[in-house]
Amino acid sequence: MSRTITFSKALNEALHQEMERDEKVFVIGEDVAKMGGDFGITSGIWVKWPDRAFDTALSEAAIVGLSCGAAVCGLRPVAELMFADFIGVCYDQIVNNAAKLCYMYEGKASAQMVVRAVTGGGIRCAYHHSQCVEPWLMNVPGLVVVAPATPYEAKGLLVSSIRSNNPVVFLEHKGLYNQKGEVPEELYSLPLYQANVERSGKDLTIVAAMTMVNFARRAAEELAKEGVECEIINPRTLFPLDKETIVSSVAKTGRLVIVQEGPKFMGYGAEIGSLVSEDVFEYLKAPVKRVTSLGTPIPFAPVLEDEVLPHYDDVLKACREAMAF
Amino acid sequence: MTLSKDQLLQRYEDMVLIRRFEEEVEKYSKKGTIPGFIHLGIGQEATQAGIAASLKETDYKFPDHRGHGIILLSSHPEDRKRVMAEIFGKRTGLNGGRGGSMHVNDLKVRDMGNNAIQGSTVVTALGTAFASVYNHTDDVTAISMGDGTLGEGTCHESMNMAATWKLPILYCLINNHYAISTRYTETHPQSQLAEWAQGYCVPGEVVDGNDIEAVIEATGRAVQRAREGGGPTLLEYMTYRWQGHFSGDPAAYRPAGELESWKEKDPIKRAREKLMDAHGVAESEIQAVHDRVDAEVESYVQFSLESPDPDPAYATAHVYADIEVEGR
Ligand SMILES: Cc1ncc(C[n+]2csc(CCOP(=O)(O)OP(=O)(O)O)c2C)c(N)n1
Ligand SMILES: [Mg+2]
Repeated sequence: MSRTITFSKALNEALHQEMERDEKVFVIGEDVAKMGGDFGITSGIWVKWPDRAFDTALSEAAIVGLSCGAAVCGLRPVAELMFADFIGVCYDQIVNNAAKLCYMYEGKASAQMVVRAVTGGGIRCAYHHSQCVEPWLMNVPGLVVVAPATPYEAKGLLVSSIRSNNPVVFLEHKGLYNQKGEVPEELYSLPLYQANVERSGKDLTIVAAMTMVNFARRAAEELAKEGVECEIINPRTLFPLDKETIVSSVAKTGRLVIVQEGPKFMGYGAEIGSLVSEDVFEYLKAPVKRVTSLGTPIPFAPVLEDEVLPHYDDVLKACREAMAF
Repeated sequence: MTLSKDQLLQRYEDMVLIRRFEEEVEKYSKKGTIPGFIHLGIGQEATQAGIAASLKETDYKFPDHRGHGIILLSSHPEDRKRVMAEIFGKRTGLNGGRGGSMHVNDLKVRDMGNNAIQGSTVVTALGTAFASVYNHTDDVTAISMGDGTLGEGTCHESMNMAATWKLPILYCLINNHYAISTRYTETHPQSQLAEWAQGYCVPGEVVDGNDIEAVIEATGRAVQRAREGGGPTLLEYMTYRWQGHFSGDPAAYRPAGELESWKEKDPIKRAREKLMDAHGVAESEIQAVHDRVDAEVESYVQFSLESPDPDPAYATAHVYADIEVEGR
């Protein structure tokens, strides 16, 4: 049975149900046990399983390092980074340890763990609490970067991330936590490495992840009034990316707009643009467009942060330009 | 150590200034006028006022996320309203509204800025201390860090290197008993965190962080030692934050009665009692301090409220030292 719950509740439910099913799963991080996490995602876990939820000091390197070691021993750690920006503190463990273990052990063991990290801007907390970290991770073979956009995806993808034998950095955009949507009550999983076609259309492909999917949906509605049929693709797993779904969509529509929070240079939009030009160049009817943040640290004051983050109007503008080309 | 009547009265005024500042910040944060997360130092004024009073303008200061007080007292009196304007995100803020509560800095008084990655500046502090030695000056570096932050590896790398190289650093460990919801005794093996000092072969002291005179005495000793080339000191100030971790946190994790027992140890109340009982300061003199501070803080609030928002174009300035980045 399905009902409407928030993105945060969906994540919380995924953890509860998966921990019920698999006793190897545990949660670790700052304030994740007794308080249930800064954003409440691990709420109620410690109450149910006091020996499977662990509060630590501020020690991100130790949290992720411990997770790597425990994972190799067959446990399934779910570590929380209160803000994805703190990946900077444990980057070595993620990049040089977790991402390499499967390769190093020739597949006999791997870092079967999830690092949940709260990502993205919009909360007026400036440059150390607002970054989009996905490009920091997407150039690291061995890592999986998952980025849900709806409560339904949040639950299903978190479950499959926990079950995955790879190290997954699971990005939770703070702008989505209160978003509501239909979520089945029962335990289910959604496939990793598979994009979702959110909306089908023949004229223009929009690729967007996390909160940017909302921009894409709004733009598609607006453009529909002008007779333009947009196809929206939400990658769900940003890395390794489901190229096939994107490329075949662009082969159909001939136009591509990528909406990405985070700076333009070396963002995933750059990669997707290249893939398309390599594989389906002959189908393109217009140059690939990207709508992104400006290339600056995220400033504090609302007028400044709003200046830097992607503008909805720019999505419309990019789509119209692609159509008019 | 006992401060003279005038000294104590001055520190009293500093503490009242911090408290009134924080109360206004809390008020406007709750109203939504101040955006973002705000970490308040109410209850911890003696540590902040005492540390600030022990340093000179050319000493390097690295306050933490709860360090509005040190920032305020380190800044020039005419700039104090700009500390508040920064927290309001205004154009007139010390940093043009780009930093906010967690990222205020004022290089002209060597306030190197607070930082929202906990533990990050604890290693940066090595560099300013190193520069003092390298340049043959006697400026010291004071770095604030919380009990929870001491879990970061950077704190330990820093203390190890500073101890080995005898760098002039004060590790101001502000132990307010909690890191968000987690008590320090649940995440550290020691009952007093100053015990770390032994392992690093540096002096370590546990200080009553709610006694302004004790703070100034211990901090002053550490400053002198660092200035004279004796190396770093780890000071653990025992104190308590009255508010939740951030403004709006209901702090349900605190046992009943704990806050009340700490309010009994209110550093401002203690200083006032000392002023009146030991120094014979009259009620009216105390009242005059409060009146002065109220008017002062009110002027910061008015200034902040009336100040314009930043120019959006300022978002793209100073990303690089020499080249521009693309704006809209
Ligand atoms: C590297 C890093 N990890 C976690 C956080 C989130 N965080 C901010 S303050 C805080 C608690 C800090 O506790 P403590 O050091 O005791 O300082 P206090 O807040 O008590 O003043 C946490 C977990 C952060 N900002 N940076
Ligand atoms: Mg603390």
